[in-house]
Amino acid sequence: MTDNTADYSDQSTQRDTSDPTNDDMLVETDVAGAATESDQVAADTIIRSRDLDVFYGAEQALDGIDIDIPENRVTAIIGPSGCGKSTFLRCVNRMNDRIDNCRVEGELSLRGKNVYDDDVDPVALRRRVGMVFQEPNPFPKSIYDNVAYGLEIQDVEGDHDEIVEEALKRAALWDEVKDQLDSSGLDLSGGQQQRLCIARAIAVDPEVILMDEPASALDPVATSKIEDLIEELAEDYTVVIVTHNMQQAARISDKTAVFLTGGELVEFGDTNQIFENPDNQRVEDYITGKFG
Amino acid sequence: MARDSYQEKLETLQSDVLYMSEVVVDRLRLALESMEQKDDDTAWEVIDNDSEVNELYLDLEEDCIDLLALQQPVAGDLRLIASSFKIITDLERIADLAVNLAEYTLDADRDMYPEVDIQAIGTTTIQMVEDSMDAYAAEDIDACYDIADRDDDLDDRCRRASETVMRDLIETEIDERSAESDVEALMQDVSRLLLTIRDLERVGDHAVNIAARTLYMVEKDDELIY
Repeated sequence: MTDNTADYSDQSTQRDTSDPTNDDMLVETDVAGAATESDQVAADTIIRSRDLDVFYGAEQALDGIDIDIPENRVTAIIGPSGCGKSTFLRCVNRMNDRIDNCRVEGELSLRGKNVYDDDVDPVALRRRVGMVFQEPNPFPKSIYDNVAYGLEIQDVEGDHDEIVEEALKRAALWDEVKDQLDSSGLDLSGGQQQRLCIARAIAVDPEVILMDEPASALDPVATSKIEDLIEELAEDYTVVIVTHNMQQAARISDKTAVFLTGGELVEFGDTNQIFENPDNQRVEDYITGKFG
Repeated sequence: MARDSYQEKLETLQSDVLYMSEVVVDRLRLALESMEQKDDDTAWEVIDNDSEVNELYLDLEEDCIDLLALQQPVAGDLRLIASSFKIITDLERIADLAVNLAEYTLDADRDMYPEVDIQAIGTTTIQMVEDSMDAYAAEDIDACYDIADRDDDLDDRCRRASETVMRDLIETEIDERSAESDVEALMQDVSRLLLTIRDLERVGDHAVNIAARTLYMVEKDDELIY
């Protein structure tokens, strides 16, 4: 973590470690009630939802989601197609705002501050909550510029060369690209491109990294590298990953949330408990393949 | 129901483990019968056919490994396989103990002590093994606890039986007129009887292990494992 005195409201991307709630990062002016609310949140919870409903027009995608996602852990979200797992992920950094008929009700808070409050700036939120998608989506720019892009857009202070190198190292890509930083990011293999996207996400030093099926387009070797990386990232970041691959969830996550049809969170617990002895029969049927 | 062939493999595993237990119980029954009737042919049948149990064990072990490697089982399926994997080891050991009993039959050159009812203890252990496997088949957790309780009684009976044999040895008068061969025979009888009692007590322990793994399989409860 770099030294930091910057203020997020000034479009900085560094974390102010003196403020454990970090509420001022989300809003132009701090909200009076936020500190009290955050005090009630369990110490290790970074993302909390209560009675969270999401609708796409008349169709309900999420139904009363209550969850406490712990900090600096990997939380996997699994479930069949259409169960709302990606919808939940996209609520956390308000990517759903971009969908016209999407309506969100209930509470979804980051360190005790509801991210859907009127005073929350979605752009500031997304600096704290990075995202990696299913298909690697590097910009048609050099490897260096891909990683430095967020730093420049957000006018991050400090030595960008150092930050880019550090991000590429953390994304386990540095050794493979250090001699070709000026080549196009699009010339890399699929697995390298995905790690480049992860480097781009972590360069701006977020608190949470959301991953939506980050390895589903990759071969087994590239998948292993991404999985190793995810486990390492959890030392510094909170990782929330949506995956169709239950074994991947079992391998890399600390906590697993099982969403089932109807947009319901049916069970959330320690990953070993979910995969060895789930409480819920529907979860048992789903993970053992008896579902449907 | 999805993954039909996988579900069939799990059902086959469970029925194969039950078949192995029937073979093992049969060996135990024959070994006790050979003892009671001093029937060397039956004893040899138990000893010679032990390789069949070993082969069953190896086949089932391979089935478990294949299921783990190829199907990535989780939850109840995983516990069924993990428990079965442990239970077949207990069954294989029970078969080894049956071989021990058959070998004692071959070594014995006279009737056992009538004061110690080996057959009654043996019948109890057979019943415990059968009941533990019924619990595994029916996923009956009450039966698992019952078997653990019955093992306490069995241990007590085995301890008293051993004491009886030892007391008898102490009370036996051995003087200068006793033939050396008689003394030797007495020593062998006593040690063989003590080993018989110990082996039967171990059969009971394996039945408890099976019950403990069954309880884990059904409820992920490890209370009976130690």
